[in-house]
Amino acid sequence: MVEMLSPLQPVWRPGSHGNFADGVGVVLSETQPGSIVQVTAWPGEEKTVIAAIRTASGLSLPDGAGGGIATETRAAFGIAPGKFLVVSEDEGLADALVQAIPINLGTVTDLSHGRTALRIAGPKAEWVLQKFFAVDFSLPALPVGSGVATNHHDIFAHIQRTGEDRFDLTIFRSFARAFWTALCHASEEVGYEVR
Amino acid sequence: MSPRRGNTAGRVDRTRTIRFSFDGKSLTGHAGDTLASALLANGISLVARSFKYHRPRGVLTAGIDEPSALVTVLKGEEREPNVPATMLEIYDGLVVVSQNRFPSLAVDVGAVNGLAGKAISAGFYYKTFMGPVIGPLKGTRFWMVCEHFIRRAAGLGSAGTAPDSSRYERMYAFCDVLVVGSGPAGLMAAKAASEGGARVILAELDSRFGGSANWSGETIDSLPAADWAADTVRDLSGRENVRLLPRTTVWGYYDSNGLAALERVTDHKEKPGKGEPRHRHWSIRAGTVVLATGAFERPLVFPGNDRPGVMLASAAQRYAAEFGVLPGEKIAVFANNDGAYAAAKTLRDSGAAITAIVDVRADISAEARAIASAVGGHLLLRHAVVATEGGKHVSGIKVQGFDLASRRLTGEARHLDADCLIVSGGWSPVIHLASQAGAAPKWDETLQAFLPPEPAQNWIGAGSFNGRFTTAEALAEGLSAGLRAAGGNGHPEAVPEVEHAAPFSEPAPVFEIPAKGKAFVDLQHDVTAEDVRLAHREGFISVEHLKRYTTLGMATDQGKTSNVPGLAIMADALGKPVAEVGTTRFRPPFASVSIGALAAERYGDIKPERLTPMHDWHVAQGAKMYAAGLWYRPQIYGKPGETVEQAYVRETKTVREIAGIVDVSTLGKIAVQGPDAATLLDRVYTNMFSTLAVNKARYGLMLREEGIAFDDGTTWRLGEHDFLMTTTTANAGKVMQHLEYYLDVVWPDLKVHVTSVTDQWAGAAIAGPKAREILATCVTGTAVDNATLPFMGIVSGEIAGVPVKICRLSFSGEMAFEVYCGAGHGTHVWEALVEAGKPFGMVPYGLEALGTLRIEKGHVTGAEIDGRTTASDLHLDWMLSKKKPFIGSNMLGREGLVAGDRLRLVGLISLDNRPLNGGAHIVEQVDEANPRHSIGHITAVCYSPALGKYIGLALVKGGKSRHGTRAFISDPLRKRFGPVEIVSHHFFDPEGSRMHG
Amino acid sequence: MLITCPYCGPRDVSEFSYQGDGNRTRPDPASTDQAAWNAYVYDRINTAGDHKEIWQHSGGCRSHLAVTRSTLTHKISHVAFARGGLASVRPAGRDHGDHA
Repeated sequence: MVEMLSPLQPVWRPGSHGNFADGVGVVLSETQPGSIVQVTAWPGEEKTVIAAIRTASGLSLPDGAGGGIATETRAAFGIAPGKFLVVSEDEGLADALVQAIPINLGTVTDLSHGRTALRIAGPKAEWVLQKFFAVDFSLPALPVGSGVATNHHDIFAHIQRTGEDRFDLTIFRSFARAFWTALCHASEEVGYEVR
Repeated sequence: MSPRRGNTAGRVDRTRTIRFSFDGKSLTGHAGDTLASALLANGISLVARSFKYHRPRGVLTAGIDEPSALVTVLKGEEREPNVPATMLEIYDGLVVVSQNRFPSLAVDVGAVNGLAGKAISAGFYYKTFMGPVIGPLKGTRFWMVCEHFIRRAAGLGSAGTAPDSSRYERMYAFCDVLVVGSGPAGLMAAKAASEGGARVILAELDSRFGGSANWSGETIDSLPAADWAADTVRDLSGRENVRLLPRTTVWGYYDSNGLAALERVTDHKEKPGKGEPRHRHWSIRAGTVVLATGAFERPLVFPGNDRPGVMLASAAQRYAAEFGVLPGEKIAVFANNDGAYAAAKTLRDSGAAITAIVDVRADISAEARAIASAVGGHLLLRHAVVATEGGKHVSGIKVQGFDLASRRLTGEARHLDADCLIVSGGWSPVIHLASQAGAAPKWDETLQAFLPPEPAQNWIGAGSFNGRFTTAEALAEGLSAGLRAAGGNGHPEAVPEVEHAAPFSEPAPVFEIPAKGKAFVDLQHDVTAEDVRLAHREGFISVEHLKRYTTLGMATDQGKTSNVPGLAIMADALGKPVAEVGTTRFRPPFASVSIGALAAERYGDIKPERLTPMHDWHVAQGAKMYAAGLWYRPQIYGKPGETVEQAYVRETKTVREIAGIVDVSTLGKIAVQGPDAATLLDRVYTNMFSTLAVNKARYGLMLREEGIAFDDGTTWRLGEHDFLMTTTTANAGKVMQHLEYYLDVVWPDLKVHVTSVTDQWAGAAIAGPKAREILATCVTGTAVDNATLPFMGIVSGEIAGVPVKICRLSFSGEMAFEVYCGAGHGTHVWEALVEAGKPFGMVPYGLEALGTLRIEKGHVTGAEIDGRTTASDLHLDWMLSKKKPFIGSNMLGREGLVAGDRLRLVGLISLDNRPLNGGAHIVEQVDEANPRHSIGHITAVCYSPALGKYIGLALVKGGKSRHGTRAFISDPLRKRFGPVEIVSHHFFDPEGSRMHG
Repeated sequence: MLITCPYCGPRDVSEFSYQGDGNRTRPDPASTDQAAWNAYVYDRINTAGDHKEIWQHSGGCRSHLAVTRSTLTHKISHVAFARGGLASVRPAGRDHGDHA
């Protein structure tokens, strides 16, 4: 299988940057999942689709807006009414979901190439994200597992909290380099490591 | 140690010496000093020259209300003008210069303007420079002559021209309670709210929290007030639910309890830390706001009240108590209330002599009287200051009897010695944010002040902001506001006890002393009391008009010290009470905000770059990239020495003769999925899609409801319930919203999902007579011959191990294929195609060649689908289905949309062999001197290698009926005139034999 | 301005796109009543006061919302999904800054 090319390649600079003398505030990475899939249920079929996602991915999505779940290898959360973003380390999740979700329940859209998955983790992750998005990232407002759909000017982003101080961002591939560059820039103040 | 620097404790760290320069002179101060306190400690009181009259000016205040002591900070080539010296914290290497003086601060030739004072009073500019020319020295033309000199003579600091190298950032914050101001009221509110479990932000515009506690000399809970404040701040800083923002000015109060604040992160540092922004623009969404913004002391208006050495009483007290700096050695006091007596006491205790206390009142409190006798000096009740003496600094004052009831001067004026005059005219609550949040302030006759309006948004006021001027009231109100703001969750604790409280009284209703001489109301804009009266005499009786005519309160300080005195003088002139005159509404910003902070950093270049999967390949091949919206697309792949035209002509020719490859990844792509997908497409496209077979594509046209063309593109049927719609690059977002709107709002019963998959697919179009042969050499898993892949057919296969979808469709008019693969594989597939094309001589081509190929074919794009044209204007009526309704079908037949004289698509050929210009008008008769009677305009132009001519597409009245006729280009802006022939827009291969092959 | 999206919670107006008057109903597609089409496309009430309008949460869940907003004060008194049948599904713990 031919490997997917990262859109970040020319600007990918592993190592510590910015003001890291007293330790890095955030670790930035591209998680390169094998599958990024959007699943949309027809109105009234949300619960059946949530069950089908569990069958195909093993992820038990909680009910409710923005609710989600994250394991070390897979994650999913609600991004809109009846709409879920499912991410997996493994390739081929879209096919499994298509099998599990016939057209009378909803639709499955493979976005594995179309979205770039970035991760920001560390004690200053909330601080850095707060520079971009007009969304409250505090733990009570956004508990672990849950996520939001929001935007930074022209750049649309799905953001899931996958740990107390860890966030996974899914953004359009064509904007990935511009956003990554901005993210690195905004992280200089707190010191950041790319890995 | 300078004689002006006392030993008082405070914010200043005497063990740390800071070196800075002022007008080229090296000076020292201490850590904690502002420029104002450091200059005063150095005995420097002449800090600036005034706006209009170039009068010497000093330091009037100790804070953000400063009207006079504005300076320019230099950092290398960069300069920041109009910084209040009272807000500028000194650091090693700080370079400051004074403003509006020539050649120097001490010797200023512009000061002669002062002698011409009458001539440049209120309305001077309007009277002298506006309107028609009447006489030689009037009117707008006269302004043209004078502007240069006036701009040089009048004004504040000048802005720099060097680019600003600083970094600015935006920060979004959310909290339950935002406390604005950290005096005793704000500190109590923050503490109470945080104990109630609320998420609290405490914003303080100064570098030090505590407000008046830092200099009041009072005792709170048995501690010196400053220590109590420091302890409270230490406690708050340890709490997880509290964020402390020093040096942060909350400057805007917007709806939904959204507030804007400016944090000056590194202005006080010699060098910012790595990645540290200079300013941070905070956009705060607060559940409840506690406004504990305090009050500004007001000056009194009397002749010579602007001379360096005249200072607000509270400012002098603050310099002495908080900075350990005395503004003078022999200090006189002028007041209409008790507050100044506390200042006198502090100054006396710090080592200054109080030479006199001049008070307009007949009687004062016992407390005040006790202080007056303790500090010594003359106590002159029923007196007023009628002049200050001295040149560039106060050397004495003149006092005269004053009758409060008649507000008339009595007796003879006499001289008193003083090197500093401190003044108090009462207090004005800082109600700006409350006013911004809606509703008009109310005048309180007792307090002689505007008090905050009833909250129109979710805020609670506390302390001096509410007109509760004593510290005990501030603490009590702060506590209660904090508890309420936290939803009543906190445990009410005892209000701290205040001892050694400063005396307080309502001020006597005196704003101006009626003596002869220039008495300033607005020191920053040089507006005198006489200017206000002149405006009244000339008929400006509304406060809003007064403000604009005199420019009172319109300078960078926004009239913080001048608004209320100005209104009071206006009210007096009108013979009305202040309450009836009212005040102007406060608008954001409360204080100056850097433009950099508002813009903040987005991407370095305002707009993010949107890149296709093959972007790096294009750049590596020397493509000249062209910004198309946010996208970057190759314009040409130029060879050394080639012009843009030579490059695209070569690329176009190669496509027509052999083959070319172009990146089409930017086309909008939308997955349209669901059982009703075909139904939706039938409704949004003018033509039929439900009849389209799986693995077939169709060109579609969309209209808007009113029948105007909206967008076009091909849509591929990938499965029974699965379509891939493509849109033009520019309209991708709009088409997506269009579909979403109809699905959500108009046809919620349709089972269709739409998803943007623009970025999911990399697209390459390969076009030319050799395109099929080239494709055949690299595609596996499918044939690409005419039977397997007919025109508008779709096949799936692999290229270089990557799954691809290939659709045979043509924009260029040649045999052409669009190859789509996963974006992450885009470069891989692209390179394989390029490699396969090499033996044939295939070239990559850019936007210019793409445009040329389509113009030759007469295909339309956004230049022709411009929001005004209909399908029939573009000769696309054949696409309008008669079998079904579609968006726009009911309105496209309206009279105006089918009129014969509409602009319709035609081709143009340049008859003088010179290039045509997009946007140029077309006329029947050329008249270079008087261009008129346009019959249409050009939408797209190129040199056509196929025709060997410069050609264009145009929208022309009458359209086809003009084919074969001659017309002219009329483009006066670019001075291009010349003959053209109007022809069919199908310049090349009108039968389409090449692409059907 | 803050709009409380029934799915995403209160969000800044910059995340939303105004999508027009919410008081109009599209005529039957087969209708040839020009007056009805003309009214649908061009006529607007232009209310001074509470006005029903359609906003899309384009920078969020992309739902279209039926918003009742006062054109005099910007006060938003009601927000619901424009598409009927979608229940408000906001979880608890998402209420910060909700003062609409």
